Amino acid sequence: MALFNLKVVTPERVFFDGETEQIILSTVCGEIGILARHESYVSILPPGPLRIKIGNKFKVAAISQGVVKVSKDKTTIIATSIEWHDEIDVERAKEAERKARQTLSHKLSDLEFKQAEFKLKRALNRISVSSKYNS
Amino acid sequence: MASANMKDIKRRIKSVESTMQITKAMGLVASSKLRRAKEKSEKSESYFEALYDTMREITSENRIFESIFNKKSDNVLIIVIAGDRGLAGGYNSNVLKLAHNRYNELSSSKNVIILPIGKKAVEYFEKRDFKIMAKYSYIAESLDIYDSSSISDKIAEAFIAGKIDRIEMAYTNYVSSLVQQEKCISILPIEDEKMERVNNLTTYEPSTEEVFNMLIPQYISGILYSAIIDSFTAELAARRIAMDNASENALEMINDLSLIYNRARQNTITQEITEIVGGASAQF
Repeated sequence: MALFNLKVVTPERVFFDGETEQIILSTVCGEIGILARHESYVSILPPGPLRIKIGNKFKVAAISQGVVKVSKDKTTIIATSIEWHDEIDVERAKEAERKARQTLSHKLSDLEFKQAEFKLKRALNRISVSSKYNS
Repeated sequence: MASANMKDIKRRIKSVESTMQITKAMGLVASSKLRRAKEKSEKSESYFEALYDTMREITSENRIFESIFNKKSDNVLIIVIAGDRGLAGGYNSNVLKLAHNRYNELSSSKNVIILPIGKKAVEYFEKRDFKIMAKYSYIAESLDIYDSSSISDKIAEAFIAGKIDRIEMAYTNYVSSLVQQEKCISILPIEDEKMERVNNLTTYEPSTEEVFNMLIPQYISGILYSAIIDSFTAELAARRIAMDNASENALEMINDLSLIYNRARQNTITQEITEIVGGASAQF
């Protein structure tokens, strides 16, 4: 199948820059798959998995938040942070989950609630990606 | 007399020497930190570019363009990024002066709020009783994207709620290790010469407005992240130059003082010899 150019960037590094056949990711509107020659498309990504087809296999990474932008010649994913499933520090994610739950048990302002909820989602996403694909 | 004078000079030389040791050490620390900061700022470049391009494209989209550019801007937020420490030449005062001038320009017709980042900026605006939205100190050196996210969440909330309609930022751009340029730019709305109103065929999901609103916090956070790192890099470069100059001046001073000291020493010796010779010749 046809390949397309994919670039995944974070503030700390260029996470992925190369050719791929397909990616599958979850946007705020649900899960979508992107193949070569996809229409121009922009959407927002909540914490969730990103699957990139490398060779015949999908490799999975955990995105914490981001934007996906598909244009004619390339697809860009702009992520706040992203790790391959085997890079995730599960202990740290569990600690973050515990802390976020603790924060959420207090009375919070709207913004504080949103931030804590987001932290919890991020931690849960890391834990789920790591436990599903690390075996 | 002469020996008392010599003691003074000696003491001064010692004190200048110890100052020079400090300025040299500070210069070295600044230059090693500068290297790390430069790497960090280079790494974030492609992230920021991608984010900026997306934001620019969506802003040029017809409906967003209408809603943003036809809005009156009565409430302006100026984000001011300065250092946490002094001793960096004109670094802090230049950017603060620029921000203050911009404030004066705007405040005659608009309601201006300040968001200072860095201890020097916080002190400056608090002392002058400016309206401050929030303040942040000591975050630049170990900044990560979540620090800038927590700042940008607050700003984005106020922007989307309509409490602010325009966001500007004063910071320092690291041009090279010798040149740092303070700048004041408009963050929202984006002002770019390349921008024009278009009706492109991109699909925004769920909708253009919603994507735009959800993009705002990430965009501000990205721009803050790179501006804070850029400013921090500039601060270190400015400090390195200032400390190098100070060390050089100290060395010059030591040379001058040593010359005076040696002259005084020679004088006393000459005088002693004259006295001895005079005393000896008086005996015969």
